[in-house]
Amino acid sequence: MKYVLFIAKHLRRNRIRTVSTILTLGLCIFLFCTMRTVLQTVDASLRKANDSRLVTRNAMGWIFNLPIASKDKIQAVQGVKRVSGVTWFGGIYKDLKSFFPNLAVDAGPYLAMHPEYVLSEESKKAFLDDRHGCIVSRGLAQEFRWKVGDTLQLQSFIAPFRTKTPLDFVVRGIYDAQTDGHASSDKLMLFHFGYFYETTGERLGPTTYVVEIADGSQAGAISKVIDSQFENSGTQTHTETEAAFEASFVSLAGNLSFLLNALTLAGTFTVLLITANTMSMAVRERRSEIAILKTLGFSNGLVMSIVLGEALFIGVSAGVIGVLLSGELVGKLPDFPIIGDLVRSSQSQGLSLAVAGAGFGVAILVTILAALVPAVLAYRSRITNSLREV
Amino acid sequence: MKAIAMEETMPSVATQPKIVIEVQVQQVCMEYIRGSQRIPVLDRVNLEIQRGEFVALVGPSGSGKTTLLNLIAGIDRPVSGRIIAAGTDLGSLSDGELAKWRSRTIGFIFQMYHLIPVLTAIENVELPLLLRPLSRKQRRDRALTALELVGLSDRSRHYPNQLSGGQEQRVAIARAIITDPEIIVADEPTGDLDGKSANEVLDLISTLNQDFQKTIIMVTHDLRAADRAHTQRHLEKGVLLEKGVLKD
Repeated sequence: MKYVLFIAKHLRRNRIRTVSTILTLGLCIFLFCTMRTVLQTVDASLRKANDSRLVTRNAMGWIFNLPIASKDKIQAVQGVKRVSGVTWFGGIYKDLKSFFPNLAVDAGPYLAMHPEYVLSEESKKAFLDDRHGCIVSRGLAQEFRWKVGDTLQLQSFIAPFRTKTPLDFVVRGIYDAQTDGHASSDKLMLFHFGYFYETTGERLGPTTYVVEIADGSQAGAISKVIDSQFENSGTQTHTETEAAFEASFVSLAGNLSFLLNALTLAGTFTVLLITANTMSMAVRERRSEIAILKTLGFSNGLVMSIVLGEALFIGVSAGVIGVLLSGELVGKLPDFPIIGDLVRSSQSQGLSLAVAGAGFGVAILVTILAALVPAVLAYRSRITNSLREV
Repeated sequence: MKAIAMEETMPSVATQPKIVIEVQVQQVCMEYIRGSQRIPVLDRVNLEIQRGEFVALVGPSGSGKTTLLNLIAGIDRPVSGRIIAAGTDLGSLSDGELAKWRSRTIGFIFQMYHLIPVLTAIENVELPLLLRPLSRKQRRDRALTALELVGLSDRSRHYPNQLSGGQEQRVAIARAIITDPEIIVADEPTGDLDGKSANEVLDLISTLNQDFQKTIIMVTHDLRAADRAHTQRHLEKGVLLEKGVLKD
């Protein structure tokens, strides 16, 4: 303990350097914790995705439409139970700030294959019977204070889906999103694909087909069969499990996990180099002082411990800053588009103790690694050589 | 640690005090290696310093004065030969033991003071006591006493860059005596000071020798400084010349 003051005094020698090192490393830990949390959330969401549901999309990408006629072909594939067209409408309610996901679906089969949307039979019937009807999640209803019977209008921001006048909807039901065992969103609106199809001139098929299959273990084989149906058509398809689709949707293009991990690793390694350079500089410019400490009787091990102690102080400070900042941001993740849906649907929200601990550990590890070489040099330095260089 | 008795009884005169040899340097050789070159610095040096003696090591630059001082103080090891100081054969100690021995036995005064710039005067003086099992208050009290002894208790909260050269050296002296060492080694203690400050520092060193019976070994170019010593030992190209005059 008696050396703490001594270490703190040394760190105050060049405050700008110490503070900037702590902030740089703190930022790195912040990114590490935040990215780990995002990845955990995505992974958790994917684990929850239902294996018995496949998603068929245009092979060119999920923003391109599929023909209406494809539905019957998919339905005819052996092992397929139900098929529902789904289009991500991109409707804006009032303004962009109040945006929420809204999907045009074939309501009957879609609700049948999504038991996680818990809706009373009465509401379900009212929804299925009303072409202008829609159902909204409980979270959405609470946010906009909607109740059954209320009307609302949506205008899509996607050019082909834009109509002269906004689409009118009547809230026919409010469903509860059951997250246990299924990926589900607490902020979602569903309406009839037929209504969408009519109002957009009956020329745009759905962007995806959600396919329910009887046996989840046959997902790979059935996917191949579905895609083979369209191999020689003008619109080739790509079918995958809902989990894989959500993964590609979340990552938009490419491997989000790989990207985030690579970025985190690169950032951490960069900070390791910066910290190592800083620690080397700090030790190099104090060579004569280290020699004096040794002259006064400080052992090589004690001098090395003091250098490592300085690194530890930086690591602990950076770890605390990084974890606190990350905790703040992660707490706000539910308000973010796309990732927010996943976070809200996951069991645990906020920065987990494991991620915070890992972030803190990385901060300590990076600084100790960075200080190792300067500390060993301080350990091995000869008093007479160091004093002669003054 | 190996303690070696080095007491020698002077010829049997009842009133004469017992003479104790504090430092014994026996056939010490030292060389530095620069690249592939071996540069001899000390050549079979023999030296004895009595307890309570004030010895000045003088000689031209590069004669090996500082090297000999460093060897006696245990901050370097000779290529060959033996050094016994304060009853301990330094060659028998490990690096760790040697560090401990230094902290207990030797007080250091350097030409460039070598105070830690981020520590105040009192914190600098207190530094060697961090190695002792003392409370913070005990350390502070002793450091303040040492500063009072060198006449700088009113500057205890000042940082080295807020002190003059002479004051810095006096803080360094306070640091050197804080552990009550048997031997004080001083490497050109007045080399960086003006005449007045140099005299003050030399007065202090003389006081430590006369009033506190500290053994002082001082390397200097300054003839006035060397005159303060009981004995002057001359080094020339790594060879110690004949013994100087022992003043009364």
